[in-house]
Amino acid sequence: MKISFSPRLKQVWKKWEFVLTLIILLEIIIFALKNSKFLMPRVLFGSMNDIISICIISLFVTFVMITGGIDIQAGSIVGLSSIILGVAWQDFGFNIWSASCLAMVAAGVCGGISGFFIAYCGVQPMVVTLGGSFLYTGIGLLVSKLSATESYKGIGGFPEGFLRLSKYRLFGIIPFQVIIFLILAVLAYILLHKTRYGREVFLVGVNQNAAEYSGINTRLIIMSTYVLSAVSASVAGIILTSYLGTAKSDIGATLTLPIITAVVLGGTLSTGGKGSVPGTALAAVAIGTLRFGLPLCFKVSQQYLDIPVGILLLVIIIGRALLNRPGLRVKTVIRGRIPHK
Amino acid sequence: MKQSEAASQGHSLFTATGITKSFGLNSVLKGIDISVGEGEVLALIGGNGAGKSTLMKIIMGMYQPDEGSIFVAGERIHACKPGVSLAKGIYMVPQEPMLFPNMTVEENIIMGFHEKPAKLRKRLKEIMNEINWDLDIFRKAMSLSIAEQQLVEILRGLMRQARVLILDEPTSALTFDEVESLFKIVEDLKKKGIGIIYITHRLTEVFQIATHVAIMRDGVITLKGKISEFTRDMLVKGLLPPDCEEAKNQENKEIDYTGLKPAFELIHFSGYGFWDINLKIYPGEILGVAGLVGAGRTEMALTVFGRDRTISGQALLEGEDVTGLSTRAILKAGINYVPEDRRLNGLFTISDVAANVTSSLVTGKTMGRIFINKKVEYEIARRYVEGFRIRITGLDQLSGSLSGGNQQKIVIGRSLATGPKLVILDEPTRGIDAAARKDVYGIIHKLKKQGVAVMLISSDMEEIVELSDRAVVVYRGRIRGELKKREITQAGLMAASFGVGEGKQVEI
Amino acid sequence: MRKILKSREINSFLFLAGLIFLVGLINPSFWKPVTIINCFNDSVVFTFLSAGIAFVILTGEIDVSIGAVLGLSAAVGATLLRDGYGVATALFAAVFIGTVVGVINGIGVAVLNIPSLIFTLGVNGVVRGIIYVYTKGAWVENLPADFTLMSNRFLTKNVTLFYGAAVLVVIIGHVILTRTRKGKYFVAVGDNSAGAALVGIPANKIKILAYVLCGIFSSVAGMIYASRIGFITPTAGNGYEMKAIAACVLGGLSLTGGVGSLAGASIGAVIMSSISRILVFLGFSSDYDNTITGFLLLTIVVINTSAQNHTVRKNRHEILLARTAQKGGEKT
Repeated sequence: MKISFSPRLKQVWKKWEFVLTLIILLEIIIFALKNSKFLMPRVLFGSMNDIISICIISLFVTFVMITGGIDIQAGSIVGLSSIILGVAWQDFGFNIWSASCLAMVAAGVCGGISGFFIAYCGVQPMVVTLGGSFLYTGIGLLVSKLSATESYKGIGGFPEGFLRLSKYRLFGIIPFQVIIFLILAVLAYILLHKTRYGREVFLVGVNQNAAEYSGINTRLIIMSTYVLSAVSASVAGIILTSYLGTAKSDIGATLTLPIITAVVLGGTLSTGGKGSVPGTALAAVAIGTLRFGLPLCFKVSQQYLDIPVGILLLVIIIGRALLNRPGLRVKTVIRGRIPHK
Repeated sequence: MKQSEAASQGHSLFTATGITKSFGLNSVLKGIDISVGEGEVLALIGGNGAGKSTLMKIIMGMYQPDEGSIFVAGERIHACKPGVSLAKGIYMVPQEPMLFPNMTVEENIIMGFHEKPAKLRKRLKEIMNEINWDLDIFRKAMSLSIAEQQLVEILRGLMRQARVLILDEPTSALTFDEVESLFKIVEDLKKKGIGIIYITHRLTEVFQIATHVAIMRDGVITLKGKISEFTRDMLVKGLLPPDCEEAKNQENKEIDYTGLKPAFELIHFSGYGFWDINLKIYPGEILGVAGLVGAGRTEMALTVFGRDRTISGQALLEGEDVTGLSTRAILKAGINYVPEDRRLNGLFTISDVAANVTSSLVTGKTMGRIFINKKVEYEIARRYVEGFRIRITGLDQLSGSLSGGNQQKIVIGRSLATGPKLVILDEPTRGIDAAARKDVYGIIHKLKKQGVAVMLISSDMEEIVELSDRAVVVYRGRIRGELKKREITQAGLMAASFGVGEGKQVEI
Repeated sequence: MRKILKSREINSFLFLAGLIFLVGLINPSFWKPVTIINCFNDSVVFTFLSAGIAFVILTGEIDVSIGAVLGLSAAVGATLLRDGYGVATALFAAVFIGTVVGVINGIGVAVLNIPSLIFTLGVNGVVRGIIYVYTKGAWVENLPADFTLMSNRFLTKNVTLFYGAAVLVVIIGHVILTRTRKGKYFVAVGDNSAGAALVGIPANKIKILAYVLCGIFSSVAGMIYASRIGFITPTAGNGYEMKAIAACVLGGLSLTGGVGSLAGASIGAVIMSSISRILVFLGFSSDYDNTITGFLLLTIVVINTSAQNHTVRKNRHEILLARTAQKGGEKT
């Protein structure tokens, strides 16, 4: 028997990633036609600063969502990490890098606690991470009280080396954050798509029972994805702190919607089992380009940007829902009869 | 008895004639005629996959029949949706009651009615008095036992003034006392003139409460009539395929057991759903485990496989104690299990074939320490795909898009990829076509030649006869008879599975 | 355990009473009726929001767009009032917004079968953006005084008009949900949606209705918010959805649906919005607010879920054991 290696699965994936690439290209062409400043590398890369946290976190929230979970606490962990970093450095005399490590460890513990409740106690991920977002935001605020600095001001005056994390530009153009994002994207890609661990994450998401029957410790895998996403949130928090030059406990408050949007837009199935790091990364970039290009080229105010992003998300999920169930008719469904496949 | 005879002379309450139904190419019902009169209890018996549940779904209006018609009290009904059958007075008590766990008994019963609650409450009380039932209607459904939940379902039916009640294997989850009280209730209902279709697997029950009997096999009624006209053996015969003598074990050699050490052994093994199981399986032997779905065989296999707690007893693999190990450890020790429900527990439908075949190797180091070595993965996958003649377009095809037979071969392939000493196959040929079935049999024979011990759990008696070197029959969680190769007959297995005899005495 | 599960709203109420009692022990000045009643008065916005989302949660779904609906209704209503329209017109416009968003959410979740969190998250983004478009990013200010003064009108000596209205609405809603035939459908759908279909309950219709009610409640909350605060920022109601969900959980609702009541949700809202006030009376800063909310939320759901899972497992084991039970009369 012949086995052809025509990568059908990959083709499907490539297809979606192809669409995303097209969207990005389309955005770039339209924006560039409208305003040639858009293509200036310095401007283009400069825009990355605002969306880098979303890009980084969504990479690892992809892991969570592939297992069928959801993480709406990542934003609060960004703030928590930022303030832990600041307080440890300013008020407890930590070296800035060991303070960063401390922030990451603390974030990992937070993710682990939420992950434990989800995986081992069987509580819905949505509820746990909702509680987590309150708890970790609150703890962030309490940590900021440990500092001599008023919490609304934020802790500043970080050493040059730490600020270079966001100010340094490779070849004078590419910001260091972008490089960190690329490195993390490659790491996430390898971890999810090349390692045994990544395979286990997928198998758990596709069919947790079958994964159990294959001897996989599904609970540990599920818990670990929350740790990963929390640590990535903390990395994002550290970079954001460096970029802003101040550590505050609430800098991640508005990230939840864009993160979930990026992951879903990237092709991850919200029921789990399907998703890819390149897809998420491309989707994050597509959203970022949109958020950057619309104000620059069409004078759309920053604050309106939720609309195009929200519409993009709705169009994609409604489109998928309709594609998956062609026989769907509104009338029959409203009458209480669910069409079976 | 008198009463039911009188009733059957009267008009028939419910009649279904010439019902056919097929799903795709698979024809499930091939012209079914049944009828129930007032005060009659029609016992509907059939093995797994005989088409009973499809028939019931048609009667309840959940499926549309291809042909045939249904009459209630002489009036033809077009049961195209659930509401119609309910309104005409047909009510089915499902095998697993569908109650609202957080609501009280009363709320559960009167949910969905259009009258005033006070009126409903009064009627409920009347009904409960009439048939002498005592149930605290303010308890939450969550706290009820299964028997009580079934009572609630029956009350639901009576409240709807059901004239025909369908009881789908009502005793499968009941204790002996609960069965007795259920039978009393059925007697009461009989007296009220309600027609009952009683689906069951247990022949003993049929003679206890049924007035009429119908046996279904492969989508046809093979036998029906008044219960007084039948003996137990006649029913057993009706359950068997007509060409039953043809099924023979292809290899006629008996295994020489002298000096053989068992590969796997269960000693007084008890757990949830099975009790005091003793059995041995030798290397290169196929042990058939016959019985009906729900007899406790799957629970036993799953407990061995580390999915549930053992209550007492031991499981030994090549003399080593493997009782109560985690699934991961069991896999490592050398036992693998092919689950009964492929979709639920076996298949990763939206993963590719290669990932499916190798999923139980992911936790080990065969495919690489950290990174998955695609070459090794594909090599292993290809070995099973080619060896088992799995028809795919490529190793990266999604397994959900394959036919049932090919899916099953993939799941079996996975269980063999770990190089097990014992393979437990749970209903390995359920829902797959004849060609794939033959291939699966080929695989099982190959395993046997390689010296692997095989535990074959099957409700298909023909399969047990054809493959097993030895067989045990499980009935209600206990082993009911062990048969040597030449003693294994379909009739014997069938009888023991239905709780009659020990598996060998029955003559047909 | 079963008894505790049985009457969750009573538990929440006892929890609240105990909380008030304890705080009073530590700081007796809390025990003045005015202080305690003000805890209730101040929870009026969350009472409406939580009661609204409770409809959705009872059916087993979720709605994270209510904060944005609150913001948009408040902005539109306030603009109309500022431009000289009457309160009735403004309220009508607000309720219209709530209804439209509710219908959209309902169709997306019930008909298109999209996971409710994802769908309402998208709707949230769009509605939030519309607020900016509508207000052009500016605050809506200069509301007529008779409107803003409405929030200071008292029904009795201490209870505000708004809270009185909230209590009335919650009681009506509660009675409908627990006492009427169709009202019980909401809980039934969340409790066992397959079973609900079996007894002829139109599950999808109920879900859409739940979203519409949720939208309407949120928009009414928006109007009350406008009256109480007196001006509307484009970020009004940001994050309120999470607090309303938390309030429901504190009030004994299960996010899997089918458990809890409107009364519970409104008590949860009081607990939720009183935490910062209570902290002040205990001598803590209100900075502990989020920490305590999060901690309470996690503790409650983890304990509840673990107990529930335990019961399910126990029941399954009992059923399996019953199958193997043997007694006399087994002779064949």
